Amino acid sequence: MEIIEKIKTNKLTDKQTEIQKICLHKLQSSPLPNPKSELWRLSNKSKFSNFLNYSVNEKHPKSDIPFPENSQNTIRLIIGETCQIKLIKENYSIQQLSENELNKYIKEQIACFDQNENWSDLLNLSLSSTKNFVGLKINGSKIPPIEIFSHASTNSFNAKTLIIFLEKNCDIELLQVNLGKENSSLSQSTFFLLKENSSVNHGVVSYGENRSNLLNSLNVIQQNNSEYNLGALHFKFNYARFEISIKQSAGNAKTNIKGMQLTKKDEQISTYTKIDFNGPNGFLDQINKSLADDKSHAIFEGSIIVPKIAQKTDASQLSRNLLLSNLAQIDTKPQLEIIADDVKCKHGATISQLNEEELFYMRTRGITLPEASKLQLSSYFKEIISFIPVTKDRWDLLDKLLNAN
Amino acid sequence: MQSQMKESDPILKIENLFASTDNLTILKGVSLTVYPGEIHAIMGRNGCGKSTLSKIIAGHPSYNITNGDIKFSGENINSLEPEERSQSGIFLGFQYPIEIPGVSNLEFLRVSTNARRKYLKKEELDTFDFEELVKEKLELVKMDHAFLSRSVNQGFSGGEKKRNEILQMALLEPKIAILDETDSGLDIDALRIVASGIKKISNAQTGIILITHYQRLLDEIEPDYVHVMADGQIIKTGGSDLALELEKKGYEWTDNFVKET
Repeated sequence: MEIIEKIKTNKLTDKQTEIQKICLHKLQSSPLPNPKSELWRLSNKSKFSNFLNYSVNEKHPKSDIPFPENSQNTIRLIIGETCQIKLIKENYSIQQLSENELNKYIKEQIACFDQNENWSDLLNLSLSSTKNFVGLKINGSKIPPIEIFSHASTNSFNAKTLIIFLEKNCDIELLQVNLGKENSSLSQSTFFLLKENSSVNHGVVSYGENRSNLLNSLNVIQQNNSEYNLGALHFKFNYARFEISIKQSAGNAKTNIKGMQLTKKDEQISTYTKIDFNGPNGFLDQINKSLADDKSHAIFEGSIIVPKIAQKTDASQLSRNLLLSNLAQIDTKPQLEIIADDVKCKHGATISQLNEEELFYMRTRGITLPEASKLQLSSYFKEIISFIPVTKDRWDLLDKLLNAN
Repeated sequence: MQSQMKESDPILKIENLFASTDNLTILKGVSLTVYPGEIHAIMGRNGCGKSTLSKIIAGHPSYNITNGDIKFSGENINSLEPEERSQSGIFLGFQYPIEIPGVSNLEFLRVSTNARRKYLKKEELDTFDFEELVKEKLELVKMDHAFLSRSVNQGFSGGEKKRNEILQMALLEPKIAILDETDSGLDIDALRIVASGIKKISNAQTGIILITHYQRLLDEIEPDYVHVMADGQIIKTGGSDLALELEKKGYEWTDNFVKET
């Protein structure tokens, strides 16, 4: 594992930023996550080694963004390429965070990091150079939709970091797209701070090419009366992990999550979510879907933490899974950790196959088996896709999913 | 009566059909011939094999034909897939129509109609042309246009589901329709609407098999032949008066008949 060797010997980059130094120092004593821990025990070891076996690349060729520009007035950023932004309009402003603001916030986050639980962020922050580090402060109203792209170059490892402060009373639609190129590894860490009364419809669409890998981490802090809606989709990665950590810092906030991962061939894609209610009247509605075909492996582990302070929490977490092959594997574990006594929390998991009777019914109406399966899958996908904002070409996304090989 | 000479060839000819599922033999030598324009009723106790027969004709993959043939328009269809049978003109109206969440009824009807039209070498219909066609067919079963925008059968009442089945039959214009307990769960008004829809769709070229327990559907649609099934076989065939006889006598005699034979 080339990257780990370089972390151990501190030979990763010449000009290290203060953040990089802090994170590298944390990693050096124990550079790998504990493979026996709950968060890592199901992770495929050889795929994980492969993920770390590329050289860090800070310069990369221009990306080929397959998403066409929306006809509407969309703001588009590509991390590592077009990150400079300063938009001050009548109703809103989007500006870059100052170095001080960035460092202060990240340092506060790192101070609470657990080496194992936040290993992905520590790795990302150790490797992400200033060029690949984007911090935005968004304020105002009637803000155009924002698209932010992140990609890894072929035969290399790229680390990209995004930090967004959403100021009070502000609401946005943001689509984040992570693209994996052939034989590449992408580490993407996103930090989101939603201040009071702000709201975001956040889409995360990640898909790769042949033998591409992804470590995608999302950290959200929600202040009072904020609303965070996430629609996420991960597919076509040899190995991918999506780690979501959401903290309702003082309760009284709303979180809605609809996520899906699709695995084929021998791919492994996993989603880990941790939702932390740190005050009363919190709300969560979460659905995670996995669909595993061929010899692939999909994993979902979700945890909801409701301490004593989080009275009147209303949380629901559902994991719905489809196994399309006898050799595919799905592991799912939604779990609740409740200390408060006046709460409404539920969780559940189902694993099933395509419904045979539905298929027969469609076939008796002249619809062929592959078409009937596609119709069934489309309906399975639509619930998630319709929750992903900004994508004008939602149906194209559906085609991508149905035709993903 | 079944052996009398007919002018045309049969649409459906089932000969000595044996079929099983999970190593359990359900059909034990069924023979049935349906000519164009004929209406056949199959009656019998629960579990006698009526629904299984309908599913096997439609090609349900869970059943194996262990002996005998199903010939449709003179061709053996034993090995055809369900979609091939449907495209060629076999329609099965389900006793319990399946709900398909997330699949729009309109799109489902359009895809199935086009599959049949493609087989018939007719031009496939785009959304606008299909809307016109479906509007006309909705009238036959007195269905509201709003049903088209919902998911297939989801949230439909029992009667609405059955009307949706007849709507599909009207759109697919099959050569033979097997209607499995289409009358179950219908109130008198709904039964009349469904029966009237079936009568309007059927013509001198269509064969119909009505599977039912009760006389009330046959009061609305008079069959040419009534068959009584018991223990996976057709044990008696007669005219429409046989159904009236069954209404009076019940099915107990069929048990004795099976025991004796």
